[in-house]
Amino acid sequence: MIYGFGGQEVRINVSDKSVSKNNLNPDFARQWLGGRGFICKVLYDEVPRSVKAFDPENLLVVSPGILSGHFAPSGSKCCFGAVSPLSNGHGDSTVGGHFGPELKFAGIDLLIIKGIAETPSYIYIDDDTIEIRDAAKYWGKGSMDAEKMLKEDLGEDFQIVTIGPAGENLVTCACISHDYGRQAGRCGVGAVMGSKKIKAIAVRGTKSLPVYDLQKTKEVNLAIIKRTSVHPNMEPWQKYGTAMFVSWSNNNGVYPTRNFQTTYMENNEQLDGPELVDKLLVSHKACFGCWMNCGKYSKVTLPGKPTVYVEGPEYETNALCGGNCGFERIDEVAYNNWVCDNLGLDSMTGGGLAAFAMECYEKGLITKEQLEGHEMRWGHVEDFEHFLNMVTYRRGIGDWFADGLVPASKKIGGGSEKFAVQVKGQGMSGYDGRFAPAMLLAYMTADIGAHHNRAWTITLDDDIGRDVVKGKAKLVVYLQHIRPFFDTVSVCRLFWGEVDVTPEEHIDAIVMATGWNDFTLEEAMRTSERIWNLNRAHFLERNSAVSKNGRTFDYPNARFYEEAVPTGPGKGAKLTLEQLDLMLDEYYEARGWGKNGNPSREVLTDLNLTEVAANLEKAGMLGTLISPLPKVRGERYKPKAF
Amino acid sequence: MTIYFKGGGLLKEYLKPDVDAYTRKVETTQGKTIREIMEQINLKPSLVSMAILSGKVIPMSYMPSEGDIITLRPPVQGG
Repeated sequence: MIYGFGGQEVRINVSDKSVSKNNLNPDFARQWLGGRGFICKVLYDEVPRSVKAFDPENLLVVSPGILSGHFAPSGSKCCFGAVSPLSNGHGDSTVGGHFGPELKFAGIDLLIIKGIAETPSYIYIDDDTIEIRDAAKYWGKGSMDAEKMLKEDLGEDFQIVTIGPAGENLVTCACISHDYGRQAGRCGVGAVMGSKKIKAIAVRGTKSLPVYDLQKTKEVNLAIIKRTSVHPNMEPWQKYGTAMFVSWSNNNGVYPTRNFQTTYMENNEQLDGPELVDKLLVSHKACFGCWMNCGKYSKVTLPGKPTVYVEGPEYETNALCGGNCGFERIDEVAYNNWVCDNLGLDSMTGGGLAAFAMECYEKGLITKEQLEGHEMRWGHVEDFEHFLNMVTYRRGIGDWFADGLVPASKKIGGGSEKFAVQVKGQGMSGYDGRFAPAMLLAYMTADIGAHHNRAWTITLDDDIGRDVVKGKAKLVVYLQHIRPFFDTVSVCRLFWGEVDVTPEEHIDAIVMATGWNDFTLEEAMRTSERIWNLNRAHFLERNSAVSKNGRTFDYPNARFYEEAVPTGPGKGAKLTLEQLDLMLDEYYEARGWGKNGNPSREVLTDLNLTEVAANLEKAGMLGTLISPLPKVRGERYKPKAF
Repeated sequence: MTIYFKGGGLLKEYLKPDVDAYTRKVETTQGKTIREIMEQINLKPSLVSMAILSGKVIPMSYMPSEGDIITLRPPVQGG
């Protein structure tokens, strides 16, 4: 038994239906903490570099971290990881809801799935019983439809993750869905699950988790509940969720509009949180152990369409399936959200793909004939839905887009790579970085590509200066350590960022759960940095045939350094390639990497990654320090005093 | 005229609460908008995503009355 953990590592080879169980190694647990920490180490050590995302030797790794299932602020998360079909590097994505805790209650901290099933299957876990079962009746069904069928067949007390047709058809931005509308959306983890012919994982766990100091855990967390329940931010969160952020984003010139052509949208208040709540809300929805209930369950009735229910749209979907595709009505955006969810597409990259296609159509680079007689106009639900069905079922040119933004732009040509909005193949999150340079740097350097949850910087950009590029890199480094830490230990970061539960209180929660009395925030940040560097090395080793210099991969598409923002509060904002390079120089120096963007022996050694340094050296890819290694990498931002 | 701004999270460091952990008392004049009052206390409007009075969202052009307690909501930090 290890306090805080379920205690088991389970390996399943779906090719031969073999299952093996081992006790979790306590040293491994302490060093990597769980969630994306466990996943990054398993992928680095066990997936040969020649293996591609859809090969049987790729692994789908599932891990709820230390605090998942515990009585900590929203210990609800579960992380899914694999070598990503988008980047050919480490990929991971985290989902809330109830799946992670249930897996812990079945005693599982780490689930490693290998191989390809002979026929469509699902993984059935009922405490110690683990079986690979036939999924023929669920295959081909939408994500949410399949979840409902499985609940009806197995019982409501099973927690279930599914993929949709997009995952079955290996669409590279396919997601893993859970709880009728939550997703592990990024990195194409759903496509990897589909490549293994696994439609779903269903789990029921009835065991208890061993807690080192249960009495203190109860006392401390009850105090946190009482304190945060009257926090001034709690009520708006409970009422509107992330959707309340839409107008702010627009009014501050970062809201992606029409495939990031501009950063401001007229009439944007029609997509804001109050519109969602007034017009569509059915009920609020919360994850395991959460009293914030930021999820908004909506009912959508559009003329000529079936009435659908969807969780959301939250901010990212609102931005990327909304203004970014030219939509101005909240009910239409919510319907688009449902289209993506049930097809099993990441609504962020799915929205990005649709917006890219709309701009290609506008510029005459794709035609009505290629779209099966349909158009691809801004703000048209029929066009949006038809196009994403073409992508999901790989019909016609939908097949190009199903392979991702970069492969599609290569086939389309006509300079379209300039506005295929991505970094490392990952479609960009819902903030334009031209008027927020640190945000752009955060996208450029994120280990999984252009994703906001590794670091979000826009208020920092605002405080230091929206046109300032110098001096922000070390602040981005700090955020890239603290923010993903919450995914590693599997609690919701909102309690940190929004209602003032401090990182130190999260460390206390870990100590109370595990009994690691010498565990500190400093150790947690070093672990987070170790994960970051391991993922970077993994990405470089896998992509060395393209370039041995990490810098090569750290640029966004050219729109972000060739075009000025044309309208709105950010009008005229423009970054140059030289400015991007300056930010990268500062960033690599702050990380203890070489000017080529590769980790140095010194920083890897300092992080106990000597074997990784040896691997990079053998491949001729070690970085050379730009200046003496900083003792602590990254710097916490302190707001200026007024 | 006295009004109160409440704010937490990111805003706390800028709002400088003085009544309790989240509340700042502000002396101002009738007829000023929320935006103007924020500027009066050097609180950047860009740090506020939403203003709420008695549970309802109000525009930044709203002119508070004596004793109003207005909750200021910072940006979501990432969606």
